[in-house]
Amino acid sequence: MVQAGEDAEAVCQQDLPQALKLLFEMNESADKVSSLVDSMLSQVKRGELATEEGLSFLEVKYHTLLSYLINLSHVVLRKVSGASIYNEPCIDRLVELRTVLERLRPIDKRLKYQIDKLVKTAVTGESSDASSFRANPDNMVSKLDEDADVNEDEDAATEKKSVYVPPKLAPVRYDWDESAASRQEKLLERAKRRALSSAMVRELREEFLDAPTELGSRVDSGAGPSGPSKEDRERQEYEETYFTRLPETKDKRKKRKLPTIGSLANELTNFESDFRVLEGEVMPTKKRKSSKKPTGKKGKKGFKKRKSR
Amino acid sequence: MTEGTATIRTRKFMSNRLLNRKQMVVDVIHPGQASIAKTVIREKLAKMYKAPADTIFVFGFKTAFGGGKTTGFGLIYDTLDFAKKFEPKYRLARHGLYERPKTTRKQRKERKNRMKKVRGTKKTKVGAAAAKKV
Repeated sequence: MVQAGEDAEAVCQQDLPQALKLLFEMNESADKVSSLVDSMLSQVKRGELATEEGLSFLEVKYHTLLSYLINLSHVVLRKVSGASIYNEPCIDRLVELRTVLERLRPIDKRLKYQIDKLVKTAVTGESSDASSFRANPDNMVSKLDEDADVNEDEDAATEKKSVYVPPKLAPVRYDWDESAASRQEKLLERAKRRALSSAMVRELREEFLDAPTELGSRVDSGAGPSGPSKEDRERQEYEETYFTRLPETKDKRKKRKLPTIGSLANELTNFESDFRVLEGEVMPTKKRKSSKKPTGKKGKKGFKKRKSR
Repeated sequence: MTEGTATIRTRKFMSNRLLNRKQMVVDVIHPGQASIAKTVIREKLAKMYKAPADTIFVFGFKTAFGGGKTTGFGLIYDTLDFAKKFEPKYRLARHGLYERPKTTRKQRKERKNRMKKVRGTKKTKVGAAAAKKV
């Protein structure tokens, strides 16, 4: 900190003559300005400057802005040097200039187009033709309507084909341009994996391989051949994270009471396809839910029977 | 029949500073036996974690199908005061630290309806007087 103080002093020593010079210059220019202003005032009083038509709009604008800035800097100066601004005349002037600026704004908005045009011609130096300031109807057509016009033409063309395109309401699987062949391949692979872990294959493995037999270590949490199902795993994770026990659902209770209901017969009878898929002979078939039984008297089948009579 | 042959393992151990406790998933492996009593599990946990057994609360034990393994949850509070503050009443009641009011739901509702008929400080009198009625 002492070093910094010393450096500051050195800098001050350097800047001192420069600062003095600048202040001297400022004094001189202030004197010049005051003399100019006096001469101008005397000119106006003598009537040499034309003030009959008043000031133009733009001149008023920048004069007010300038005065506003000057007054503002005065207020800032007073505040910075710790003096109060109570009952300062510059505050009243500021308010007055502010109201003038606010009044100028809507007029400014209305003149905006003409002023822009003038500026453009001044910059580009193009024709001073008065007709170039007329209205441009092309600017009235909005850019958005152009696309609508294009679409209307296309729709008129497709209408001739009269193909019905259904509305896309529900989300549908997206194949990312997967070919039918690769899809078949994937299905085949999945079917093979399923076949390898089926009950039949597991029993064969137990019979012919030398691995020791594993008793049912994972019977409930490991319900399926590859451990717990996704649902069971999710439930377990939830229970362990939130320290709660979720209540048992109805189907789970039924499964617990009668574990093989509805599934044992299928397991026993659907083993041919597994081997065939492994050998690559047969393509994997889609799983189809068994058709519903005839729904009794009031069902569709009953109705048909009656009609056929 | 064979006692003490159960193994206790804890998983997902977490020290929950917000509730001043340690919480974990408790796996009890007891091949060939019925599931172990909660008091025994508490004592074993007390030995494992060197905490007094009365600050340990275990619950939610489910035996896997086929037997042999039971999974549940365990909480070990820093002090008994924290336990009394944070544990739900039913679990405190299991340890004997809390007694539920013996009034039945019907009685409470009847008392409330009797109190509705009276205004102000007479409410308390009504409740007590009507309860004493046979």
